[in-house]
Amino acid sequence: MAVTQTVPASAQPGIGVGHRLLRDPEMAIGVALLAIVTVVAIVPGLLAPQSPLAISVDQALEPPSAAHLFGTDDVGRDVFARVVHGARVTLSICAGALVLSALAGGGLGLISGFFGGAIDMVLGRIVDVILSFPPVILGIMVTGILGPKTANLVFALATVYMPVFFRIARSGALSEVGQTYVEAARSIGLSEGVILYRHVLRNVLPLILVQYVILFPLVLQIEGALGFLGLGVQPPTPDWGAILQQSKDYILLAPWMSAFPGFAILWTALGLMLVGRSLQRRLDRR
Amino acid sequence: MARYLTQRLAASLATALLASVIVFALVRSVPGDVVAQMLGQTSDPTAERSLREFFGLDQPAYRQYLTWLTNVLSGNLGTSWTRGQPVAQLITSALLVTLQLGLMTLIVATATGVPLGLVAGIYEGRLLDKIIQSFSLLGLAAPVFWVGLMLLVGVSSLAGWSPPLLYVPPSASIADNLAILVLPIASLGLLQAAAYAQFVRQSVVSAFHQDYVRTAIAKGVPLRLVFFKHVLRNIGIPLVTFMGLILIQILGGAVIIESVFALPGLGRLLLTSIETRDYPVLQGALLIVVVIAMAVNLTVDLLYRVIDPRVRLT
Repeated sequence: MAVTQTVPASAQPGIGVGHRLLRDPEMAIGVALLAIVTVVAIVPGLLAPQSPLAISVDQALEPPSAAHLFGTDDVGRDVFARVVHGARVTLSICAGALVLSALAGGGLGLISGFFGGAIDMVLGRIVDVILSFPPVILGIMVTGILGPKTANLVFALATVYMPVFFRIARSGALSEVGQTYVEAARSIGLSEGVILYRHVLRNVLPLILVQYVILFPLVLQIEGALGFLGLGVQPPTPDWGAILQQSKDYILLAPWMSAFPGFAILWTALGLMLVGRSLQRRLDRR
Repeated sequence: MARYLTQRLAASLATALLASVIVFALVRSVPGDVVAQMLGQTSDPTAERSLREFFGLDQPAYRQYLTWLTNVLSGNLGTSWTRGQPVAQLITSALLVTLQLGLMTLIVATATGVPLGLVAGIYEGRLLDKIIQSFSLLGLAAPVFWVGLMLLVGVSSLAGWSPPLLYVPPSASIADNLAILVLPIASLGLLQAAAYAQFVRQSVVSAFHQDYVRTAIAKGVPLRLVFFKHVLRNIGIPLVTFMGLILIQILGGAVIIESVFALPGLGRLLLTSIETRDYPVLQGALLIVVVIAMAVNLTVDLLYRVIDPRVRLT
């Protein structure tokens, strides 16, 4: 804690929350990394005018050059275009799956903690079962058995980290239930639903949001791994994991086919981890 | 202690049972079983019926489950539907590969990650800490299978060496076996060493900020003594828990890295049994995974109680 700091940043005119956040170098680097990925995911055509699907066999397996920044793959598709267009596919799958996970886990956790009893028992056992599998193996199991479809991939990814949100929401709800203000709210006749929504949810939400950012890189890694095993997004759709799966057989012949999509995962995961760590620290300090 | 142990064992057993029911229901909920795969395009109703009968697939699902469960409880995991070998034998040989990979990775990761974390924690905020933290963040952000692929490219282009393509068990040749495993261990170890470094650093930093450590420093205890007597001792307990977590993560990571380096471990067994809808192998392999993960967790909890007397009171 710096002693010399006299004016708290919040009191300085013209400095908003965003500025204060960015003072943390980790947060600033993380936000910068993610900003680039976000732009790429929103307007991929701006950076890569080539089609990620256009095949030209006479240009197959070309190393990186001015014409093809990241080289070409085994059927002559532009790897740069595939990686750039893959950002939207990969990230929307991960983000969507994690939203589902947070809604299901968070919702069930709140109910479980708030009402307790038999509901809590049953939900708790189900969560225990999910937790008894290592995350990657659970992902393989669900996508492998249900079949490699994007919907199944999203379902699998949502299931894997549902218990984390469940536990946070449950313990949050448990600690709020006994508070005097909940008792007071009850005594003035507020319904359970209103209390849950207005009071308990409001206290649990920040924890869930931070957890969302912390889990995102982990989901990204599992999504990539499942794609790499051929259990994720199916060709020819460009997805970072799926591109890596198609490149595997050419690893020594054309390493650029694997190097760049993997680096894209690394880049994004790093950005997310930096932001997540920074957010966690702020939360812990409160 | 005995009561705690019985409680935990009962809870684990219940969870494993529930997990097996879910796995059983899941594999049977999708269309296309092993018989359909065997017959392919041909449709011969009599052959189909007799095959279904042979595999017991003509029975209602709950019957199939009860038969399977009774057999498992008497130690019989069944026979592979596609390979004709006993499931237990298939799992054992695959498990040996995965366990060797996993344990060697654990040793490598612990031996590199823990010292890195200790150094980073001691030099909190200084250059060395920042370098180690950056390494650790990169290691955690990199997808493990991609690290494996890049190591393969790096080693083969720089040293002109690439690992043998066919797996050799250590019983045949230790040198060849290690030559195959060195890159998988390195890629998996990097990730886990990074995780260790993060965790140990955090533990050291927070231990140094404890009141009793401050007191010790204030009353003039030499820093080295403070470190060994107070700091190191207190990070031992959380480290045990973390090691269990790492071991389970290694199990998951091993499954992926096996497919990069064509190792005949549990990952490959899982994937092929899913592809061929070989239910007995799939159910057996998943059951083993769950049991291993539970055993690790239980061992960690018990160790925790043995090491830390404070936990025993609660």
